[in-house]
Amino acid sequence: MTWLGPIPASVVAMAAAAAAVLLVVAYIIKMRRRRFEVPFSSLWKRVLEQKDANALWRQLKRWLSLAFLLAIVGLVLVAALGPTRGARDPDARSVVVLIDASASMKAQDGDPERKGLTRMERAKERAKELVDSMGGGDLAMIVRVDGQATPMSRFDGDKAMLKKIIHELQPADTPADLPRALSAAADALRGRQKPLVVLISDGAYSEQQLRQAAWGSGGAEKTGEGERTGTGTGTGTGTGERDEGFGGKELAAVDLSGIDVRYIGVGSRSENVGIVAFNVRRYIDNKAAYEVFIEVQNFGSEPAKRQLALYNGESAIEVKSLDLAPGQRIREIYRELPGGESTLRASLRPGDGDGPGNSDPFPLDDQAWALMPAQKTQSVLVVTRGNHYLTAAMRVHDNVFWEHTTPEAYDAAPAEMLQNQQTGRVYDAVIFDDHTPAVMPPPPVNVLYFHPTGEHSPFATRGTVATPRVTEVEESHPVMRWVEMADVNFIESLVFAVDKTKGDHALAYFVRDPIIVARRENARKIVGAGFSLGATDLTLRVAFPLLLVNSFDWFAGDDADLVTTYTTGKRFRIPLDGLVKVNEVTIIDPAGKKTKAPVVGGMATFYGTRTGIHQILAFDPEDPPPPPDGPDPRVPLATFELAANLGSTTESKIAPAADLVLGGKQLEPPAAFAVSARRDLWTYIVLFVVLLLVVEWVTYHRRITV
Amino acid sequence: MALAAKQKAQAAATSGAARAADRSKLFDERFLRTLEHLHLVSRKMFAGNLRAERRTRKVGSGIEFADHRTYARGDDFRYIDWNLYGRLDRLLLRLFEEEEDLHIYILVDCSDSMAIGNPPKLHYAMKVGAALSYVGLANLDRVAILPFSDHVLGRLPPTRGKNRIFRVFEFLRSCEIGGTTGIAEAMKTFVSQHKRRGLAVLISDFYDPAGFEEGINTLRYNKFEPFVLQVYDLKEAAPNLHGDLALVDCETGELREVTVSKSLLEQYKREHERYCKQLEDFCTARAVPFFRTHTAIPFDELVLQIFRSGGFLR
Repeated sequence: MTWLGPIPASVVAMAAAAAAVLLVVAYIIKMRRRRFEVPFSSLWKRVLEQKDANALWRQLKRWLSLAFLLAIVGLVLVAALGPTRGARDPDARSVVVLIDASASMKAQDGDPERKGLTRMERAKERAKELVDSMGGGDLAMIVRVDGQATPMSRFDGDKAMLKKIIHELQPADTPADLPRALSAAADALRGRQKPLVVLISDGAYSEQQLRQAAWGSGGAEKTGEGERTGTGTGTGTGTGERDEGFGGKELAAVDLSGIDVRYIGVGSRSENVGIVAFNVRRYIDNKAAYEVFIEVQNFGSEPAKRQLALYNGESAIEVKSLDLAPGQRIREIYRELPGGESTLRASLRPGDGDGPGNSDPFPLDDQAWALMPAQKTQSVLVVTRGNHYLTAAMRVHDNVFWEHTTPEAYDAAPAEMLQNQQTGRVYDAVIFDDHTPAVMPPPPVNVLYFHPTGEHSPFATRGTVATPRVTEVEESHPVMRWVEMADVNFIESLVFAVDKTKGDHALAYFVRDPIIVARRENARKIVGAGFSLGATDLTLRVAFPLLLVNSFDWFAGDDADLVTTYTTGKRFRIPLDGLVKVNEVTIIDPAGKKTKAPVVGGMATFYGTRTGIHQILAFDPEDPPPPPDGPDPRVPLATFELAANLGSTTESKIAPAADLVLGGKQLEPPAAFAVSARRDLWTYIVLFVVLLLVVEWVTYHRRITV
Repeated sequence: MALAAKQKAQAAATSGAARAADRSKLFDERFLRTLEHLHLVSRKMFAGNLRAERRTRKVGSGIEFADHRTYARGDDFRYIDWNLYGRLDRLLLRLFEEEEDLHIYILVDCSDSMAIGNPPKLHYAMKVGAALSYVGLANLDRVAILPFSDHVLGRLPPTRGKNRIFRVFEFLRSCEIGGTTGIAEAMKTFVSQHKRRGLAVLISDFYDPAGFEEGINTLRYNKFEPFVLQVYDLKEAAPNLHGDLALVDCETGELREVTVSKSLLEQYKREHERYCKQLEDFCTARAVPFFRTHTAIPFDELVLQIFRSGGFLR
């Protein structure tokens, strides 16, 4: 008899003692009886005197009942210990089943006989067969392998449970990280007898990944000999041997010494044409237009015809036929495309003809998405006493329509002045040139200040600095991109006191004194320059119109450098454009599933597993939490989007590997499991407990007590 | 919680007594009509019999020969049977049954055990007692009512005439009730207080821990004519009980814990039947008229049954 249960024997013993004491106390405590009035108790007395002959049996019945209950509790606790018949089976194995759930497992060539069966479905079938062939003493752990290695169960011999876990596995849109999965399996098998790893996969791994395995002393050849002797013959069992054999060829190699690794291949076809790169960018000089770069590769061994379509939103803007030789990679660049929707989608469709290369069993890489920063026109009010340099620079931006007014006129009727007389709408942005109004434009109007002074300035200052030079520029900020200020002269500038709790960000410094700052409030953005335009030669430099253009682009959320296209299987880090106080965002993936992601260092971070357009919603943390069911009534502070594509040639190269060479050793398929004699006894114990309960129930009701 | 349960149990225990104590609606107009009907029926049954002609065992100056006895000094010479003297050469005196007003004593058990049942046995017993009283009063017999438990609780003196039935009602409504059953003691008190012999109708459930025999014998030995009427409730003959119970004797308060099973219940039913049979056998063996009834039988049916049997009026 051996014990495999998860609960230590000492804990079970304590629980047994406590339960027994409780039961006995419960039996000792006298039950309060229902009182019933009778006219002549002598009659009952006579009856009971006759009954007293059976008193011993009645007592015995109560003690029997107690004994039954004690036995039931004892047996349940024994069952929790997981007893098994006989000694530990020497042939029993500890198996880690690695099931590849990477993107390539979505290829619909799981079985040539069954059209549309994916590799994942076939892999699950094979995994279930493997579980079915397990012996009574074998224990298996299911590990899902995609960009991460996720154990789906502990070591367990419950076949039904293991098969249920296997059945629920779904492939991700990410490449597989085989070394991580092997490392997890090796860790899980450390110290277990007869360790075995079974990898069920299409073998779509890079050479680098396949090299990252070490088999210990003797190398692959020795291991190979060991494998040929049949199942259950590992090359070693102890970790000491593992350490000894850990070679220096691959420092990152996974130590698999002493572990029997087997491989079950799935997949039958290799023809696939996929989009391996898809990028879009606006022109710097003409932000109304953009260009697109698409790279398509034929991973198959047959020539292939494809139709490449490019969509802007739902409208196809380019369709092109491609003829690809085996292994050929074609790069397409579409120039001067007009603006429109911000979402771009590239799609591959099989071309005409019935050739084997004209069908595609792997649809995941036939689509790719990209997002363009939104390009919108802005109306701007310039509050100035007359500055030709400023008004001239305002003409540079094609998408900015501006009006100007004097500080006096603005101060007289600020609310009125903020209304664009032509459109009847509020201005998108206001520039205050050497003027700090008492009434600041309300959100969402963005504001650019030159030399904001006095108590109404939105920025706190630490004083002024004479003849400063710009010694440091925050080039990563969109406002300062390409702005060269090294040789700009200033007569004087304010020195701002940056308050990060308000969302302040210093953009340009004189030594350590910030002289240009930006603030991202929740609903608007503010830029402050500490100098007056009349006290600098910045207006004569190229940097000045660039500073204005960048400011307006930032105001509009049009960040040309904003990375919006990611590849799955990696940790996405999305800048939140200066949002402060937000420590968590809500991610809505392409399937509509909502998850939370933390914000670290101003960037939302999460692991991308799905291709398509993701939405990132940033809510005010002070908003009340949404109801658990029903729609979210909160209005997000900001909404961002990103596109995620597969972008993995390893996954697109779907040719299945019939034989897999891992760390120089060819992996063999697993032999059938030998059914061991050992059997778990807990089910029988539970059945016996049920029987005891029935007997107790019957005796209880025979007494007809209430 | 426990206090509430206790109060509930106490309330349940006293509910029977409270119900029995409320006798305000016991003798209503309808009851009186039933009595009149019973009286008419009884007249038909006993047609031809003279009023107050019930013969007593008392030997006296009646006209119907009863027995002889040896002459003693001081006896009236007129009653010497000279014919016998001629044949036997012995002076024997002729005795005659004395004709007198019949005394009917209605002895109603008013102990706590009679409060059990729905309706309470006490009410049933009082109704039967009132009905018999009415018939007796209408026959110009002298009727006395005596409630008892372990002693005589009160007394309605012998009275005669139909119109006195209201006094009977009033007495039965207001008489004291309660206490433990002690037939023997009560009967001893009764016979010592009543020198006039007569019919003693004993209405009780006879649930006397000391036994019923001594009480009945006391009547017999003192020349009363006992008439035994046992009243019981069907629920006490065949109680609908099960499970673990604490049985409380309503008179003694004695507590007895019992787990009532089907077999135990059957055993109890048999024991109850055996007890009733003992009472019946005792009476039959001693030529004491005996009737057993349960409260589900309408009281007028019982009274008619009694009349038909001829045990009450002859």
